[in-house]
Amino acid sequence: MSHWFENAIERGEQLTLSAQRTASLELLKNTPWPTRKTEAWKYTPLKAVQGFNATASEVLAAEQIEGLQAIDVVPGSELPTELPAGLTMQWLAADDVDASLFQQVKPNRHLFGLVNDVLAENVLQIRVAAGTEVATPIRIVQQLTAGSETHVRVLVEIEEKASLTVIEQFAGSEQSLNTLFAEYRIADDAKLEHYRLALQTEQAMSLGGSHFQLFDRSQLNSNVVGFGSDVSRIDMDVRHSGQHAFAKLNAIYLLDGKELFDLHSTIEHEMPNGTTEENIRGIAAGSARAVFNGRIHIHRDAQKTLAELNNRNLLLSNKAEINTKPELEIYADDVRCAHGATIAETDKTALYYLQSRGIGKEEAQIMLNFAFINELVDDMPNQAIAEWLRPQLRQRFAKMGE
Amino acid sequence: MLKINNLQASVEEKQILKGLNLEINPGEVHAIMGPNGAGKSTLGNVLSGRDGYEVNEGSAELDGADLFDLEPEERAHAGLFLAFQYPVEIPGVSNLEFLKAAIEAHAKANDIEPPSSAELLKQAKEACKAVDLPLAFLKRGVNEGFSGGEKKRNEILQMMLLKPKLAILDETDSGLDIDALQVVAKGVNSMRAADRSLIVVTHYQRLLDYIKPDFVHVLADGKIVKSGGPELAHELEAQGYAWLENGEKAGENA
Repeated sequence: MSHWFENAIERGEQLTLSAQRTASLELLKNTPWPTRKTEAWKYTPLKAVQGFNATASEVLAAEQIEGLQAIDVVPGSELPTELPAGLTMQWLAADDVDASLFQQVKPNRHLFGLVNDVLAENVLQIRVAAGTEVATPIRIVQQLTAGSETHVRVLVEIEEKASLTVIEQFAGSEQSLNTLFAEYRIADDAKLEHYRLALQTEQAMSLGGSHFQLFDRSQLNSNVVGFGSDVSRIDMDVRHSGQHAFAKLNAIYLLDGKELFDLHSTIEHEMPNGTTEENIRGIAAGSARAVFNGRIHIHRDAQKTLAELNNRNLLLSNKAEINTKPELEIYADDVRCAHGATIAETDKTALYYLQSRGIGKEEAQIMLNFAFINELVDDMPNQAIAEWLRPQLRQRFAKMGE
Repeated sequence: MLKINNLQASVEEKQILKGLNLEINPGEVHAIMGPNGAGKSTLGNVLSGRDGYEVNEGSAELDGADLFDLEPEERAHAGLFLAFQYPVEIPGVSNLEFLKAAIEAHAKANDIEPPSSAELLKQAKEACKAVDLPLAFLKRGVNEGFSGGEKKRNEILQMMLLKPKLAILDETDSGLDIDALQVVAKGVNSMRAADRSLIVVTHYQRLLDYIKPDFVHVLADGKIVKSGGPELAHELEAQGYAWLENGEKAGENA
């Protein structure tokens, strides 16, 4: 048993909780602390969480994204008052959550999701009224001070034909722990552009998830970036609950030293004619460890589903480790699915092309390795975010394997 | 400038070039024509040092430097440029980044000051205009999603920026419509200079209406079997390549 976990349950018991949160607490009490034998945590040791002692819960605003005009939200701080028409945001009181989206999208199998259900001290509700296209992105930033622990919940409802961009941004390297779980309900013909920038490093631990429920003809474009830290774990789950929904999920991770980054994703195709494109790419150097578990579950009724899952990895040292496991479960007969997990190999033709232009083999190799990641940065719809990320990724990449 | 002597080369242990001789002086434009499978593309690949192309015998010197002693990038530094028949797409590396890396590598190898970023951008923009590519192409991935014609124009753009001593254009006309062909030819012609030589490899005479060669060579079965002036290209256009086979057969029978 873990000291931290026991303490978390104790803290939960002292709170006055709503019915739903009480149910999560009960569930949590019956959940064993993961060991190496627990499949969902097999490659992600939680030792650093186990020994963590919170002494504060202070959240700082993370660095600005240059060139990006955004509505900034810092958990625990006041919300901006002037919002575009059709957009509403509020911090929910603890007993309000039952009437909201709370736990409607997030599956309750996540251990830390249950912890978040119980302990979330800040629950942010965001609503976009039908037909409203919100041009300014909402940026939820998390940078914890040393010794801090926070649990944040974000509940987003995008109504019919509305659209929104949300950035969940994490920073900092001090010893700290946060969980942030976001639930997105994307109604018929609505659109969400989503970024989870898990840029916390070193001793900043982050466990959380972004969960999406898609209805008829809705569209999701989600982009994850991970740097890895003592413990960094993200669960990305997509439920196709409507027809003709489109989900695109791109993720990249760049790990070095002893960093750990764990990405689990589950795509549930419950209805016919849905599309999922999942591209996950990572580079690991030093003795870093990446974990990717990608499950696509195509239910019996989900005929004409198109689902593609691709995970490619590049290992820059023989001590670095990638644990990848794509899983396809198909119960419908008329579907097109493909999945693959590979260790990336250099494209020899591209290497020759670069060399033929005078670029030395070593430099050409480095360019191609970075391109492998950068391709997904190029693919980000928001140019400001891409331009802001690129030099950081480049710098991090340049230091890898030194 | 370029001296190729008895070049024999193979791909996957199949001999393609069977004793090719060619000498090119500064400022000359040589066309190499020939039927499919004659070894036209192999020549460019062997000279530029592509993996999998093995030199079995012979030599190639560029201004006295033995090309086969050099890595592909060193050959480029020595002034060789190959415009690819099938330019490679490299998503994730922007055109501008690629051009910058190439130009800086050239500058470093030749011990000259590389252009500033601003100067480089200016040159790249000018080259874009010259080959009629939108400036937005500089930000896009190398050849990523380009049409066939755009890729070929991008090859010429690179040539304009790298200013090679010797450029080999490998079937640069293939897949081009007449407008794109003219743009490409104009770009190439603007590069003609007394100290720069060109090898234009093509299956058809069409390109040679726009890029006028000084010499035309017929490559067949791994060797140059006939050389002449520009009029030879017209002869080939009229007669096709069938005479080569007949000629050889006649030769064998004799």
